[in-house]
Amino acid sequence: MIIQLNDINKTYPGAVPLHVLKDINLSIERGELVSIMGASGSGKSTLLNILGILDTYDSGSYYLDGTLIKNLSENHAAELRGRMIGFVFQSFNLINYKSALENVALPLFYQGVSRRKRNALAMEYLEKMGLADRATHLPSEMSGGQKQRVAIARALVTKPAIILADEPTGALDSHTSKEVMQVFRDLNAEGMTIAIVTHDPGVGAQTNRIIRISDGRIEEPDKAL
Amino acid sequence: MKIRIFDIENWREIGQTLARNKTRTFLTAFGIFWGTAMLGMLMGGAEGLRGMLMRNFEGFATNMGATFAQRTTKPYRGFNKGMQWSLDQTDIAFIRRSCPYIDLSTTLNSTGASVRHSDKSTSAQIIGVEPDYFRVQLPVINAGRMLNESDDSQVRKVAVIGKNIATALFGSGDPIGQYVEANNVYFLVVGVASQTTEVSLGGKMDDSVIIPSLTMQRTFNLGDAVDGFIYTAKQGSTPASIEPYVRRAYTMHHPVDPTDREALWFLDISEQFKMVDTLFLGISLLAIFVGTGTLMAGVIGIGNIMWIIVKERTREIGIRRAIGAKPVDIIAQILSESMVLTAIAGTAGICFAAGSLAVADMLTYDPVLGSAHFQLSFSSAVGITLTFLILGTCAGIVPALKAMRIKPVAAINDK
Repeated sequence: MIIQLNDINKTYPGAVPLHVLKDINLSIERGELVSIMGASGSGKSTLLNILGILDTYDSGSYYLDGTLIKNLSENHAAELRGRMIGFVFQSFNLINYKSALENVALPLFYQGVSRRKRNALAMEYLEKMGLADRATHLPSEMSGGQKQRVAIARALVTKPAIILADEPTGALDSHTSKEVMQVFRDLNAEGMTIAIVTHDPGVGAQTNRIIRISDGRIEEPDKAL
Repeated sequence: MKIRIFDIENWREIGQTLARNKTRTFLTAFGIFWGTAMLGMLMGGAEGLRGMLMRNFEGFATNMGATFAQRTTKPYRGFNKGMQWSLDQTDIAFIRRSCPYIDLSTTLNSTGASVRHSDKSTSAQIIGVEPDYFRVQLPVINAGRMLNESDDSQVRKVAVIGKNIATALFGSGDPIGQYVEANNVYFLVVGVASQTTEVSLGGKMDDSVIIPSLTMQRTFNLGDAVDGFIYTAKQGSTPASIEPYVRRAYTMHHPVDPTDREALWFLDISEQFKMVDTLFLGISLLAIFVGTGTLMAGVIGIGNIMWIIVKERTREIGIRRAIGAKPVDIIAQILSESMVLTAIAGTAGICFAAGSLAVADMLTYDPVLGSAHFQLSFSSAVGITLTFLILGTCAGIVPALKAMRIKPVAAINDK
């Protein structure tokens, strides 16, 4: 079990407190390719933030690969994020003044990996994504699909336990979307655990399991396809 | 935590971010550059101005005093005011006997004269002095020797002539061993002297013929009148402490009102030095005040720019946090950027200041008096740079803390 959520609740405080996640129970097995689907405002992004240790929750418990994720210090959270989780974002979130290679190598930089080693690893993953010839290109010199593949390489380079993708095809045309989804499917076939947040049923359909979330609750818990 | 200060990526990253907005980086750097340059130039400039003024006093013993009789300004014992009087040997003997503070001293008599050698003549000031004169005035001896005790005691008709007199009478020839005629008396030239100072007592040395005081008195029939008395104070006392002894001497021997301060003129070089010192203390303080203001403006400029940079890069910082950067990594990045910017611009500023000071030093160089010392000491230069470096880095602290508080969620939510 790579991810285990028990009765997770999350409320955003304010004049009218917003109870966005209500008693979420969810588990993701190692090697799964799941999608988390829901309308906008359903709480799926909050769920992803909690899964990615980017946000905290109020009650319940969250185990990531056996580690309880609760009340972590910023440093510990950063370390776990860097080591266990690879992020892929809708808007790629590459650093626009760094080359593809530097972008992919950046997480290793923060882990204190030597320059030679991290560049070699980054190159390896760029090759895997078929972008070896784009290593020195800046994000602005690449197409959306290429950028997203660079972002995936960056997510993979730390050998994370799980990849969390937030609308990875949201900014891509349908043809490129298919390509990127194929990349995810290939990675999953190699044993990588992947969770994709999306509102696109086409994307959801390409995953092995769909977790539907609506109004802060999971609709059809653990319905295997 | 592992500090990656030696990782080249760290430095490349700083370079990249600074190079991203070249105009802004340049303008910020210019603020720092100008701040350090200004502070450096002001400090070195004040030092140079002081040097320029102080070198006017060069060639004077710094604890020198002098006194010359002037017309009285008050009537006394039946004598009208405006009476001409002079000190005499009795006064001098009394002062020398009674005053424990005098180190070196010499009487000085002077008279105008026409000086001739063969067919050339020029007008000069004849000065009669005792040998100590050359230790009080510190002249430059261009040739020959100074006057000594034997010249005085044996009433020799010898003379040390000023540089200008030597040129006027002998051209490029050697005057030593030649005779000059002054007011129909022949003197053997034993030395040529010139003075370094701009200040002169009893005539500029360059235009004088200096002869032993006894020779002067006897040859020109001066009796025992003395025009002036020049002295240096002993270690630990000032020329001012000698003044009461002088006043007591002449009021004992001359019909001069003891309350008539104007009857005797006093010069206290140490007072002049003190004045210059005070003046330049003021100038230095002003320099530091203005320089610090410029410095603060530069530092605030950095703080401002770093703040804007952090605002602009919220998203990027969020991404970095999401892929594993710790808060301390972000702080280190922002701080090192402001530190690098300050270090480079600050060093350039100091170099610029040193260059300008060198030019100023060259322009004010005087072949005789030498350099005015438009210089910045190495320790002040290092001090200024370090102060700037520390303040510049500190200016980055507030923006860096703000950057640290950026949550990684910012990267994702900012769609």
